[in-house]
Amino acid sequence: MTAVMEKAPAVRVVAKRRRRRDWRAIGAFTVLTGPVVLGLGLFKYVAIAWSFLLSFNDARGTITIGHWIGFDNYAFLLGDDAFRTSLTTIALFTVFIVPITFVASLGLAVLVNSIRRGKAFFRTVFLIPAAVSYVVAALVWKMALFNGLPSGVANVLGGLFGADPVPWLSETSPPVYWVAVVTLRLWLQVGLYMILFLAGLKAISPSLYEAGELDGTTKWQAFRYITLPQLRNTSVAVLLLILIAAFQAFDEFYNLFGTGLSGTATAPVKPPLVYLYDSALGDQNYGVGSAGAFLLTVLIVVITLLQGRFVGFGKKD
Amino acid sequence: MSPETFRLNRRSFLVGSVLFAGGAALAGCTSDPLNKNAGAASGAKVTLQQWYHAYGESGTQQAVQRYAQEFTKANPDIAINVSWIAGDYETKLNSAMLTAQAPDLFELGDFRYQNVKNGLLAPLDDVVDPVKADFSPAALDTVTVDGKIYGVKMIDDVMMLYYRKSALQAAGVQPPQTFAELLDATRKLNTGKQKGLYVGTDGVGEAATLLLWSSGGDFFDSSGKKVAFASPEAIAAIGGLKQLHDTGGLLQGYPTDWSDPGAFANGATAMQWGGLWSLPDIKKALGDDFGVIAWPKFGDTGKQVARVGGWYQLANAKSAHLDAVKQFINWLWIKNADLQKDWCVKYGFHIPARKPVAAQTTEFSSGPAKDAVTISQQNGKSYSGLWNKASATLFLQAATKIANGQADPAAELGDAAKKAQAEVDKQLA
Repeated sequence: MTAVMEKAPAVRVVAKRRRRRDWRAIGAFTVLTGPVVLGLGLFKYVAIAWSFLLSFNDARGTITIGHWIGFDNYAFLLGDDAFRTSLTTIALFTVFIVPITFVASLGLAVLVNSIRRGKAFFRTVFLIPAAVSYVVAALVWKMALFNGLPSGVANVLGGLFGADPVPWLSETSPPVYWVAVVTLRLWLQVGLYMILFLAGLKAISPSLYEAGELDGTTKWQAFRYITLPQLRNTSVAVLLLILIAAFQAFDEFYNLFGTGLSGTATAPVKPPLVYLYDSALGDQNYGVGSAGAFLLTVLIVVITLLQGRFVGFGKKD
Repeated sequence: MSPETFRLNRRSFLVGSVLFAGGAALAGCTSDPLNKNAGAASGAKVTLQQWYHAYGESGTQQAVQRYAQEFTKANPDIAINVSWIAGDYETKLNSAMLTAQAPDLFELGDFRYQNVKNGLLAPLDDVVDPVKADFSPAALDTVTVDGKIYGVKMIDDVMMLYYRKSALQAAGVQPPQTFAELLDATRKLNTGKQKGLYVGTDGVGEAATLLLWSSGGDFFDSSGKKVAFASPEAIAAIGGLKQLHDTGGLLQGYPTDWSDPGAFANGATAMQWGGLWSLPDIKKALGDDFGVIAWPKFGDTGKQVARVGGWYQLANAKSAHLDAVKQFINWLWIKNADLQKDWCVKYGFHIPARKPVAAQTTEFSSGPAKDAVTISQQNGKSYSGLWNKASATLFLQAATKIANGQADPAAELGDAAKKAQAEVDKQLA
């Protein structure tokens, strides 16, 4: 009894101190996260919500809301073959670019990981392009590598095999402009994903390979039954990143095919983001631009969820 | 150092940085990122924001700043802050016009009816009216909406066909007057190393528009509101793009576009569609070995055409200092003939928009420059203000497919015209 009596004030003191400390923590939390939350809220979420409202308005040359037209902007986009073509284009582009980027970066990572000397050197060499801006790279591709002159690098290489000079970026039969688009994206992206795979490879315990060797696995078997399963989480994350990046393709298409004077009007191919840029910022049709952005977002979310379902993002091992 | 003092130091460091960041943020709110009060220091009551697109010729930026300073010297109450906008000028301008950072006055190449409809532009009749006769009818018509004039033409830029005299002579062809002759010349002038014709890096450029115009057609019919680029004559003319591509003599994929003299001056092509602004560079590279003509006529009923572009000075309807804006526009683009001449011929090469000033400019008295002025007056044609980016995109997409032989001209243009009409109707609604 006396013991309890004696203890009570001490408990009260502890409780009091804890409460005071909590207030300070909350204060610090507010001060430290406040600016970010406020900034995000103001410049992201308010903007997104506003854009959502705009998508139900006829907003030409204005960003004020008031001219409600229901789902007309969505109906216009879904009925426009240029927008539908841009969606099929990006779907095809994704189907091609995702596996190629995945295999290339995984292959490079395994190769770089397996060499004994110069690992750091090769890692750096392959990563450097990731630091180059899309705009700069697109200009190099357009002006130096894939220009239509006989002296362009691609045409000189083709000339060695007896091919005639080709206007790479405007030739549509066959559509050789894809060569420029795909090589550009691979050059810029493969290094980055290679680094992610390298990190994954480093995390695999060598004892697994030793155990495999004792059981007499071949190199292929080691890759197939040890490396690949161990890299599953990395692979899923990388796949997801490549997929989203492919759907958001804009820079290289805009810069490779844009002419400055007619914009991208004469481009042989237009992904959705370029189409929306032209609608919203080129022609100032902010209603259609917003509607298109939400359609594209829904599409990306659906495909990502589907992919997660099939490949198993977030599943426990 | 004891742990206690270390912790205090860390805390004071954190508090200090939070205060610093907060202070910086506050300072950011009150500071003047666009330098709106640049004139305040010089004692001016009003500072006008003026936008230019970034002209390529050296000295242009310094020139417009000098004009602004000279104006302030004469009118100490008004200062001008010039912004030089690089990149996609019209897109940046359009976005800025929706915000409080909109310039008070700005230039624009292609006049858009939509800007008037959206109430963005102030009428400038009181500035233009006294000297109305100085401007070409086209320069006034383009910017006239419901009887009010919304812009002052600053400079005329005529676009025309440059040809290399020696190359034509060697191939035994005359400067082409008809489309058939143009096809023939493009074929014959192609030596492999030097191609026959360059209309743009995409192989289309303005050629589709020129074919349409040179067949006697236009984007709109005589009412000016009905889209007319899918008439049978227009379809036949724009189909000519495919014929041009089939000659094998069309240069494509050159690193610089048609607006740059590069392809022609470097000998990559014997003929190039280009602007008057390229003339000084071409003269420097080729001497007298070049001439200029209008785009050849298509068919028997056609006519030779050249596009007259240029830049308009416009005023923001929402400007708080509209009187000062008009005073400055009047001073610079109406009263001050010397500065107009300086602007036109000292850096790049443009025709002064006011006829009396053009007549005083000796640079246009001989050679290809003189021919250019003649072409501009006899064959010049400009876009309608209703022709906006959405319609132009539809038209050019169709033209590109036709040029590449991917589509049937009649079906493709018919479809594009229907969509363009919907765009136009919405603008007019």
